[in-house]
Amino acid sequence: MSKPMERHAQSEPRPMRQQLWWIALGPSIWAVHFLACYLTAAIWCEKFASAGSANSPLWWLIGVYSVIALVGLIVVSVMSFRSFRRGDPPVSYDFDDPHERTPFLGFTAYLLSLLSIVATLFTVLVFLLVRSCD
Amino acid sequence: MDERGERLLKAWETPKGWRYWSAVNNSEVGLWYTLTAFAFFLFGGVLALVIRIQLAVPENDWLTPEQYNQVFTMHGSVMMFLFAVPILEAISILLLPQMMGARDLPFPRLSAYGFWCFLIGGVFVCGSLFFGVGPRGGWFMYPPMTTEYQTDVGPDIWLLGLSFIEVASIAAAVELIVGALKCRPPGMRLNLIPLYAWYILVVAVMILFAFPPLIAGDLLMELERALDWPFFDADRGGDPLLWQHLFWIFGHPEVYIVFLPSIALVAMIVPTFARTPMAGYGWIVLAAVGTGFLSFGLWVHHMFTTGLPGITIGIFSAASEAVAIPTGVQIFCFIATLLIGRVTKSVCLLFVLAGLATFIIGGLTGVMVAIAPFDYQAHDTYFIVGHLHYVLVGGTIFPIIAGLYYYYPFVTGKQLSERLGMITFWLMLVGFNVAFFPMHLTGLIGMPRRVYTYPSGMGFEIPNLISTAGAFVLGAGFVVLLWDLVRPKGGQPLVKRNIWNAGTLEWIAEVPDRPWGIRSIPIISTRYPLWEQDNLMSDVDDGKFYLPDAEEGLRETLVTSTVDAEPMQCLRVPGPTFLTFFAALFTGGVFIFSTYHWWVAAGVSGALSFITILIWLWTGTALIPEKDNKDVGLGLSLPIYVSGPSAVGWWAMFITMLGDMTAFVSLVFGYFFYWTVHEQFPPAEFDGREIIGPGTAWPLVSVGLGVVAWIAVIAARSSNRSDRSGWFYSMIGGSVLLAIGSAAALVWGPITAGMDPTHHAYSAAVCVLVLWTVVHLSVGVVMLVYCAARRLAGRMDARHDADIVNVTLCWHFLLLTVAVTGSVIALFPKVS
Amino acid sequence: MNRLPSQSTLENAGEGARQVAELFYAMTIGGAVIWLIVIGLAVYAIFQPTRHNAIKTRLLVIGGGAVFPTIVLTGLLSYGLAMLPDLQRPAPEGSQVIEVAGVRWWWRVTYRLPTGDRIETANEIHLPVNEAVEFKLTSEDVIHTFWIPSIGGKVDMIPGRENRLKLFPTKVGHYRGVCAEFCGAAHAQMSFDVIVETREEFDKWLSQLQTPAAGQSHRGHAVFAGRGCGACHSIRGTSSDGVVGPDLTHVGSRRSIGAAILPNEPANLKHWIRNTCEVKPGVEMPSFEAISSDELDALVDYLGSLR
Repeated sequence: MSKPMERHAQSEPRPMRQQLWWIALGPSIWAVHFLACYLTAAIWCEKFASAGSANSPLWWLIGVYSVIALVGLIVVSVMSFRSFRRGDPPVSYDFDDPHERTPFLGFTAYLLSLLSIVATLFTVLVFLLVRSCD
Repeated sequence: MDERGERLLKAWETPKGWRYWSAVNNSEVGLWYTLTAFAFFLFGGVLALVIRIQLAVPENDWLTPEQYNQVFTMHGSVMMFLFAVPILEAISILLLPQMMGARDLPFPRLSAYGFWCFLIGGVFVCGSLFFGVGPRGGWFMYPPMTTEYQTDVGPDIWLLGLSFIEVASIAAAVELIVGALKCRPPGMRLNLIPLYAWYILVVAVMILFAFPPLIAGDLLMELERALDWPFFDADRGGDPLLWQHLFWIFGHPEVYIVFLPSIALVAMIVPTFARTPMAGYGWIVLAAVGTGFLSFGLWVHHMFTTGLPGITIGIFSAASEAVAIPTGVQIFCFIATLLIGRVTKSVCLLFVLAGLATFIIGGLTGVMVAIAPFDYQAHDTYFIVGHLHYVLVGGTIFPIIAGLYYYYPFVTGKQLSERLGMITFWLMLVGFNVAFFPMHLTGLIGMPRRVYTYPSGMGFEIPNLISTAGAFVLGAGFVVLLWDLVRPKGGQPLVKRNIWNAGTLEWIAEVPDRPWGIRSIPIISTRYPLWEQDNLMSDVDDGKFYLPDAEEGLRETLVTSTVDAEPMQCLRVPGPTFLTFFAALFTGGVFIFSTYHWWVAAGVSGALSFITILIWLWTGTALIPEKDNKDVGLGLSLPIYVSGPSAVGWWAMFITMLGDMTAFVSLVFGYFFYWTVHEQFPPAEFDGREIIGPGTAWPLVSVGLGVVAWIAVIAARSSNRSDRSGWFYSMIGGSVLLAIGSAAALVWGPITAGMDPTHHAYSAAVCVLVLWTVVHLSVGVVMLVYCAARRLAGRMDARHDADIVNVTLCWHFLLLTVAVTGSVIALFPKVS
Repeated sequence: MNRLPSQSTLENAGEGARQVAELFYAMTIGGAVIWLIVIGLAVYAIFQPTRHNAIKTRLLVIGGGAVFPTIVLTGLLSYGLAMLPDLQRPAPEGSQVIEVAGVRWWWRVTYRLPTGDRIETANEIHLPVNEAVEFKLTSEDVIHTFWIPSIGGKVDMIPGRENRLKLFPTKVGHYRGVCAEFCGAAHAQMSFDVIVETREEFDKWLSQLQTPAAGQSHRGHAVFAGRGCGACHSIRGTSSDGVVGPDLTHVGSRRSIGAAILPNEPANLKHWIRNTCEVKPGVEMPSFEAISSDELDALVDYLGSLR
């Protein structure tokens, strides 16, 4: 019997600290940011962009969206990181102790928020490298 | 077997003789579903060979263009709608309850209904090919070709036949979400559920948000075809690109909807053969959830060449690259598991390896085409055909075949031949690569997709001939596999229990399996209970855990809490019935008769289906039990009847309405989409006639009445709970009248203003929102009347109030629908 | 069998095509290396018996599965995005503008002249080498896609919209363009010829294009008019002014017929006129089976003379 099983046998049952929706929070922030950028850019380019315009209001808006989204994502990731680090360090195959489940949702939420940060930065990258509505 | 076991067996007995087809249990329905999906797969495969014969040589005239167009349209549609999505639902219906020690899914009759819908719809759509009237607009059905230039029934068969099947898919999604979240064994907290269930949960949620936009698109296109409402007609303010958006908002998540469940099978197989738990459980969940989200941000990469601004293209290009990250993570988790463990080799694992090798090529070419400039060249060429087959065969077919080898003993008690398996493996691997690898080149040297023939002299001849040869080798592989599946195995002894020495709960099944699913529902405390929980199998067999008996002779399973899987309810699930078959038959009638514009027959069929479903609900749902609580074993007593957010029915309603809302949002999206793409929308006048709006007053009156109706519904719920009958009936009556009033006001605006939906896309867009809302209000009225009848008949009372609670939940969404429709058409863009 | 003009994206005859081909080669090499490493690892994992350290394999998941792809994809995405603005930017003012409309199943090509005039032809596009050309792309019925693989990327032609595309041909020669979006029965037979030539030759061709047709006295013209061809086809300078089908004013000078499905030779033209619907199933033009060989000879001779 592996070590985690022994720990499991000794530990007290305790409900999970987080709810399932917590892990969806990071990707949801990405999704909202993504949609906001897409819709704003699409409407801007269809309705307001004219040839030679600097497009600066669009870039300002995207900047504001991105700052808000990234701050939100960092908050989620820090909270998730704390919640999973509070548990025992993950064992070999990240077998969470069955009665110490907080790490699981926290850990997954942490990873998802990191992925969301990368994906959000990818979106920002587009506005840095493509600067017109052509 | 003791007396308790006998009783349990009796309760779960599979019906015999012709009544066999009334079975609703997941093991029967799952099996039928799987076999049917596999049959459609073989049909789609034959169509693929027909395509390859036609393209073997240049300037071939074996098929006419019209025949070829039907064949390739059906190949794509069959593989996507009749194989890839249904097979995942089929396998999940078959396996998921078993993996989670549940006796059945929470809504067995819904699964059965979904299956019959799938069978009827699938046969109808495929059959059209044999009468030469098959759809021929491609599986993507781009208007205006499919609206103005194909006036035969082909597109209608596609739109209505497949919408019908999509409804079945959504039904299965509801079932699987509730199953994965609520029907786990006690103790199987979220971090212990089999990875398969995680994937299926993600996929089912994706179906819920991906399919409704397509259904909305189907609705718009069918309205244009049948009633000339010009949604996609550019001459009257419509836009063909709206269809492309709606189609690909469905179509791209679809790729992951078919890919993830197959990877889920890999995630079950790999640990078994590596003899070690999956490395990086949390990482895999990250990958599944992350892919699920990101896959909704990719749809425009199918539209890179439609002339969109560079910014838009860039945004979707970026998301398409980002989705490769979670995909990479899961592949490395599999490899890490194989590295950590001591691997037992088998045909099963070879197919996993083949799947990985193939899929990674598809993934890498996917990363390439996600770079927009490369897509400008590769889009709509054979490069894409190569890419997508590498993704789908590598990511879906090979893993499913691995799963077939893995789970065949689970279903039949016999094993597939390793020797024939090796032959199959090599035929398929070689055949597939010979067929599809050259296509990348064929595409780069300029061969477009969907051509029924090609001229000689451009270098297309040799790669196409090689592809055809490879396709037949691949086909031969399937023939060998098919033989292995069906050859008589009478001489072979039954396999031993848990033949692969796996760790997950489904392998606790006896050989041959018994219909009860599991003798008693165990307490789970690890991810691989058969490896890590001592004596689990014998304790389960001895009936030492929950629900080892069926004292009342009824089918029961446990409902547990979402996160921590604490037992919450003893759920009684319904048994065999033909009602679901007839309900599906009549529902099918509505779609099929409408295809041919036999409106009377469609109406009759619709009425019959309505009545059948009402009987089904009346006799089979929210039954008041003979006692409140039941001893489920181990000294635990659980309620039998539950209403509100802890009831599975409430969840099903909530999930269904989320899907319904998604379809509605798609329609609203269309409305605003027209506004963005037009300089002025709506124009002041069009075609010499003034463009008329519904006015401000009547839609807002409708919203007002809707709000009051909703308040009355809530009041009805609480007066039921406080057992004030008089109040209850008057509140129901009031809300019914108000709802009718709200619908009438909504219709009255456009009618008095004299709106003509065929005039302009604006008029059509307003009318479709009104139509959608009025239909929903009508359903809401029927539900309220149903609740009143339930109480009158004594089937609902103050404590047993699931009906009115679920109807109230539905009404929250109805209110949202009315409010959005009313305010959008009244206020934006304002047309007086 | 005759060798047809190239339809290959790897032909390198245009700025866009060259950039994309380079991108393709780079990505393919990178992809092949990644594939070999990952599959090598998987094969090793399956076929070696020893157990590996779990902590080290964890690092593999983090490094190989997450960090490495993120870095590579960031680089690739930046490279791809950086290419976009140049590819998307319209051709500079004063560039040749060509309107192309997709029609089931041929191409209506209209050259905008500096004078502001517009001159129509069909199924054959001439381009000056080493100059940016701006295409205005529309559709008269269903969605088509305009694509000259050897020169650059494709853009859809969508009813109700005008899309644009800039191409920059860099190599003199004869290429093929093709419809890439499935558009119905004869989608497979909707191609066109692309002639990239020097500025002088291009100017010569363009001025020739503006001249009306001669040879009204030709007996074939009487056949053309008598058979009602003019209801659909135009021959400028004659009474035939149909707009449904391709303009035939200079059909004799074109490389091919039937939207680049047959070489423009008298025998092929005869075959085409008599058996249109067999040669190109679905085509809107009827087969003129009943036409006498005498009439056909005259007609084909006349059309050949329209240069």
